[in-house]
Amino acid sequence: MHVAMIWALQEPTSFVGRFFEGLTAPKGIVDFLVVSFMLFAIGVLGVLTRRNILIIFMSIELILNAANLNFIAFTRYWQAMGRISENMGHIFTIFIIVVAAAEAVIGLGILIALYRNRQTVAIDEINLLKW
Amino acid sequence: MELKGAQIVFYYGLAFFVLIMAVSLIRARSAVHAALYLMGALIGVAGLFVLLHAEFVAGAQILIYVGGVVVLFIFVIMLVNVREEITEATRLFTRQEAVAWALVGAMLIATIIALRREAHLLPPAHAPMEETPLALAEDTQRVGSALYTRAALPFEIASLLLLVAIVGSVILARTRRQEETFD
Repeated sequence: MHVAMIWALQEPTSFVGRFFEGLTAPKGIVDFLVVSFMLFAIGVLGVLTRRNILIIFMSIELILNAANLNFIAFTRYWQAMGRISENMGHIFTIFIIVVAAAEAVIGLGILIALYRNRQTVAIDEINLLKW
Repeated sequence: MELKGAQIVFYYGLAFFVLIMAVSLIRARSAVHAALYLMGALIGVAGLFVLLHAEFVAGAQILIYVGGVVVLFIFVIMLVNVREEITEATRLFTRQEAVAWALVGAMLIATIIALRREAHLLPPAHAPMEETPLALAEDTQRVGSALYTRAALPFEIASLLLLVAIVGSVILARTRRQEETFD
């Protein structure tokens, strides 16, 4: 078993070898884009499928964080390639964090007013404006 | 920009941590647990920021998100009643799973197409990259000088936005009795 594993690791054409080679290869921008995409997709699934409006808000925060991760990764990548010298991506990220904080405050204020009137946080019971 | 050696271990640890926390968040039955999972995911993303040499943004993320937004969420959970999701057999999800998964699949296809179209901008896999070394100013110094020169006007607009958010949330969340007392 051990010998077979070592043979597989030394022979990069086999599937296991290629898998381990990919696992230990240096990580570049694409790997961060993959994490960011998966975080974004999980956030979208949370927004579209949950009934609890609080958890929908938390999923929106996940989506914003995925965008932040993209900004930071691309800033680091272009800086390492020598194309840009400033880090404007960090500035964009800071502004996204500020806007997300303001959005959370306003959204939770609306949520408290809504709960006071309707006594529920389930979005499919709040359908007065639905066509 | 290549992560090598121990950085790969940190990359995998943080990435799996963030994704596991995010999945647990959207599957959590209790809203308090969801807030704690959100806290974990945000801390993991801050760790990925540190891995990308964005130390100031990582600190700001922990201070504002974990110290501010998540605590605000927990306070609001205390004010609204979400107990019936825990104690009773309430439905957690809407009946929109098929639409949601279709949308996510379409997003995946669009991302792959976009990456293929822009592939000439990205490095070929496993090719050695020529890296120009960074002018090693401190990260915070670089962010601060960019924030106060290039982005000075958006900075002031952000302060106005925060002021409006503070006043607006107070107006939105007060009760009828408070309105009659103080107006």
